[in-house]
Order: sequence, then structure tokens, then C-alpha cells
Amino acid sequence: MKEIQDFLVGRIWLRDFTPFSKKAIEKAINKGFIAVQKGITEKLECARCLEKSSEKIIPYNCAKCEGICYYCRHCIRMGRVSSCTDLITWKEPLEISSYSHSFSWNGELTNLQQQASDELDESLRRNRSHLVYAVCGAGKTELLFPPLHKALSEGKRICIAAPRTDVVLELSPRLKAAFPDTAMHTLYGGSVFEEGFAQLIVATTHQLYRFQQAFDLVIVDEADAYPYSYDPALARAVNKSLKENAPIVYVSATPSKKMLKSTASQSKIFRRFHGHPLPVPEYRSLWNYRKSFNTNKIPAKLKEWVEQRLEKNEPFMLFFPAINMIRKAEPLFKLIDSRIGAVHSKDEDRKEKVMQLRRGEIPGILTSSILERGVTIDNVQVGIVGADEAVFEAAALIQMAGRAGRSSAFPNGEVIFFHNGISRQMDEARNLIKFYNREGQR
Amino acid sequence: MKCYLCADLLDLKPSWRDLFFMDREETVCLNCRATFERLIQGCKICSASGPGICEECNRWETTELRRTIDSGQCLYAYNNAMKDYFHQFKFLQDVVLAEVFSEELVKAVRKTKGVAVPIPMNPVKLRKRTFAQVDSMLEAGGADYVHLLQKNEEIQGEKTKEERISTRGIFTWNGNSVPKNIVLVDDMYTTGTTLRLAAEILKEAGAETVTFVALIRA
Ligand SMILES: [Zn+2]
Ligand SMILES: [Zn+2]
Ligand SMILES: [Zn+2]
Ligand SMILES: [Zn+2]
Repeated sequence: MKEIQDFLVGRIWLRDFTPFSKKAIEKAINKGFIAVQKGITEKLECARCLEKSSEKIIPYNCAKCEGICYYCRHCIRMGRVSSCTDLITWKEPLEISSYSHSFSWNGELTNLQQQASDELDESLRRNRSHLVYAVCGAGKTELLFPPLHKALSEGKRICIAAPRTDVVLELSPRLKAAFPDTAMHTLYGGSVFEEGFAQLIVATTHQLYRFQQAFDLVIVDEADAYPYSYDPALARAVNKSLKENAPIVYVSATPSKKMLKSTASQSKIFRRFHGHPLPVPEYRSLWNYRKSFNTNKIPAKLKEWVEQRLEKNEPFMLFFPAINMIRKAEPLFKLIDSRIGAVHSKDEDRKEKVMQLRRGEIPGILTSSILERGVTIDNVQVGIVGADEAVFEAAALIQMAGRAGRSSAFPNGEVIFFHNGISRQMDEARNLIKFYNREGQR
Repeated sequence: MKCYLCADLLDLKPSWRDLFFMDREETVCLNCRATFERLIQGCKICSASGPGICEECNRWETTELRRTIDSGQCLYAYNNAMKDYFHQFKFLQDVVLAEVFSEELVKAVRKTKGVAVPIPMNPVKLRKRTFAQVDSMLEAGGADYVHLLQKNEEIQGEKTKEERISTRGIFTWNGNSVPKNIVLVDDMYTTGTTLRLAAEILKEAGAETVTFVALIRA
């Protein structure tokens, strides 16, 4: 029973797909430990992801119910929830004993990081939500460590949620290293099952569909990023995963206006940890680049920029607005240097290609906005092809620009907006970066 | 309306076609549609690439299941996009995906002029899966069909191809009256055994011609 409790407490799970035998689950139900509910409620809402739009809750003729049954398309990848599937929860909350967790991070915070860390600590003490608004390269993860340590030691259950698996995989080892003895699970689509109860969970935001009244604190990293910012179901998932009145900490380099307005307590860090200003994007016109790629030619100015990077031995990231443009461009760039790689969101070995770029095994990478976050490569130079295209909002442009100059050894990377006309978003991104630099140098 | 597969918004601009033809509403965006590989020509029975009748189908004509199937057609190759689609439809039980290929499937079925007979599922399995994917595709395409077969309990465990071929008795006729011309409908053609065993039963029960349409050639 203990094993079932450790697994199920704070979770909402498909009855037929637990790591335990059907008999064991049934026994726990009969003893009154586990509550059972229908997957789709009477009000036609998915009990797991709280979706209720008729576009996602689909009626059909079910052979099991022998009649009309509803299923949820929204969270279907986690195993389908329907009117005739049962969801189970553990009834009693689990008391976590408080003890001092070991904390083996011995880095140092800058004054600005320390101040933000203290402010966050104060918010958590008052149980109120908080926004950490920190520019790319400010060192936002480290400043979370001291307040996290305190909260863990107080017996709080905590989830750090990030929008994408890449970001989760980057965060997880850092947290494991900082809190080596804390029971921690890492959850994402396809992650391996980890036994026992975890007080600290690092997960993609999607995984929160499977939690209910579980956490005393949820930290939403990259809170402005797709899909969290676009999918209201994910915000609902975060709220559902929290215990009553538990706070949320949002962390973002490019928060939306709405987020800035809705979270009263804020810490701002407009200065990178190494103290150097953010590289300011330079505009460079690149007329008719689409036509050019379509006729199998790299626009001259772009070619020149890439050749300069190769000559100077500087790694580069070249962002593109569309996958099919990358497909067209890749063979053309390979003619300049056959080692130049390309990745996009559907690419399975993008992690490996990023590693190759980091290790200097390939000189540069053509990419979609999938690599706009979470990538740190020494001395990387950034070009954005079609910076004026609608897919590139100011936040995305700032994130991509934020790849440059991150290390203290090479704080002055180049960022070029290659464009076919200047968009408002480009101006907004550049003005914000300049604003951060003014504020950060005060 | 969003694409069933990638959730991108579908272009809803009414085209001149919509004004003149009653095209069914699109369920999948053009990008997703383009990732599937439609089979053209190929083997006259199973649509495998090449002219005439393929080696495999020729070999069938030397077995005791010869002349069970008169002709056939598979519509799509089992490429990565189709694997993803099929997984989401059949195993994630995303029933709406029946609509994605229903129109094409029904068109191919109607062309045969036979009465559509789906390859059935075993009743226990059907309750478990909660829907029969072939039936739901035919329904989504607005086609009539009749069930003439009953699928019995499958023998579990590894079987060699020869054993599978000799697995008689997986289908039985359910006693409904048998039309002259029948088109069997299945989701996937793999070795062709299932369809031939089904066709054999139907011919024994009085069918004159049995052809088939399968969505996928594995
Ligand atoms: Zn759902
Ligand atoms: Zn049902
Ligand atoms: Zn699509
Ligand atoms: Zn053939």
C-alpha cells in the first residue's frame, strides 16, 4: 500500500495504467484510500486536463459503453481519457517531514541575483506568487537555489515546470547536483518510470495534467514560452496541480504585458551575470531572400556573413522562419562548408547537433526557433533570416539574440537581423534590449 | 477548425469549388496531407510496386487459398507519417481520425461496385478498443456496409508465416445473406492472409467475386 501511496499521492491517474496490478489498486479502492472518478464529467469536462471545448471533447459510439461516450483529444497522448475510463486519486495528503536537505551548490550570486533571491524568499514566506524577470544570461536558475533549499527543508513539495523537454533535460542535472540527497523525479513525454515519492519534480508543463493538489510551490520556468503562453489548458494544469493558496513563481526573460500586470511581486535583473551589456541587434537588409532560396541561391550578404564566421572560426546559429526554408537552404550552405548542420522541431537528434556545435565539431547550425532558448555556446554569433516575418515576435527575437555573448570569456557576440523590411517587432526587440542595457548599467 | 494532426488552423477561405461541389470539409492541413504517400498502380491485387501481379500474390495462387481474392487495392504506403497516424488512430483511440481518409476509402470501395464487408474485430477486443476502426472509417465516409463475418479468438503467441497461413477458423460466416459481389475492407494489408481467409469463407457461403480495399500497404 505504501508503494501505491508514494506513487499516487498528488496525482490523478488512469486506473488501468498504473505501475501496479489491477488487484492491488482495487484493494486500495475498497479500503477507501483511493477515490475513483469518471474521466469525462457530467458537464463534459476532462477531469485530467480540464478541457471542455466541443472541439476537443468528442462524442462517439462506444463499443464498451454500448452508447454515446465522450473522449478528450487534448490530453490523448497521455493515454486516452473517456466517459468510460476511471481516473484515480489518493485521498489523504502526505505529510512531508521537515529536515535540512543537503545543498551542495557553492557558486556565488551577484548583487542583483542575491537581491532577487531575497525578494523571492520573502514572497514565498508570505505565500504569494512572484515573477522573476531576468534577461537572458542573468543567471536566473542559480538565484532560485537558496529559496528552493529553504522550501524543501520546510517539507514543501515543489515542481519546476518548463515548456519543453530540452529545457527540462538541461535543468534536471543542475538541480540534482545542487540537491544531491533530495528525492527528485524528472518527467517528460517518454521519460522512464522512477519509483517512490519525489519531493522535487522537474517536468514539462504538460505533465502537470497528471497532478492534482500536489504542490506547495510550482515554479514555471520560461513562463512566456510556447506552448505555456498560448495554451490556457497549461495554465489551468498549473493551478490544478497546486494545493490551496500555494504560490506560483514565474521565471521569464521576456514576460508578456499580461504577466507583468497580473503578478504584483516582481524581481528584475536587467544585467547579465558577467556584467557586460546584451549584444544589440544590427539590421541588415536582405531583399527577396525567399525568392533567392527558391532559386537555389544564398543571398550575397548572408553568404558573406557566414563566410566571415567560418574564416574567423566563430560558431554561428542561423535562425529561419520556416522549416521548408531550412530544407531549401541546408544543401546550399553545405556547399560552402559540408559540416554546417541543420535542425528543426521535428528533428530527433537536435540535441546531438547542438553538442557538436558546442564542441566545435561543426562550424554552425541552421535552425528554426526551436533553439531560441536553453542553448549556451561559447562565442556563438547569431543571424536571424527574415527577422521581419510574422513568426518572429519581439520575445522570440530577444531570446534568439540572447544566445550571443553569454560567457564571460566572449561577452560581445554579433546579432544580425537579416530582413526584407523592418517590422514593429524588430524595433520593439531592439528597443527593449537597449533599455535593459541602460537599466543594467545603472 | 484546426488540423486533426498538427493543430494548425485550417484555411477556411471558401473556394469556388465549395460553391459548385459539395466537397466534404477538410480535416487535415495541406502540409500534413503532403506527408502521406498515395500508392499508384503497382500489383493488381495488393498495390505493391511493380507491373502486373507481384511475386507474393503469385505465390498465393499456388497455395490452397488461391483464387479467394479476385482483385484488390491498397491506398497508402506505410511511411512514417502513416505510422504516426495509424498509431494515434488505433492505439491512442483517436476516433475522429476516421474522417481523415474516409472519403478516399469510400470512393475506392464504391468503385468496385461490390457490397462493403468490413474485416471484423473479435468482440472482446472490440470492447477493449471501444471502436472498430474500419467500420468508423466507412461510417465517416457515409458508406453502407454489412457484417458477414465473425472473428473468433485469436491464438496467442509467436507464429511462423506458414502457421499463420494455415490458421483456419479465425473467421466464420455469421449467417446473413451473402451478396454476389463483395468488397472486403480492412485498415492494413500485411501478408494478405487475413483477407484471403475471409474471402475463402465468403466464397464458400456463396459469393461470386471478392475484391478488397485496404487503407495501408504495410
Ligand atoms: Zn483531457
Ligand atoms: Zn465508452
Ligand atoms: Zn496539419
Ligand atoms: Zn501483390
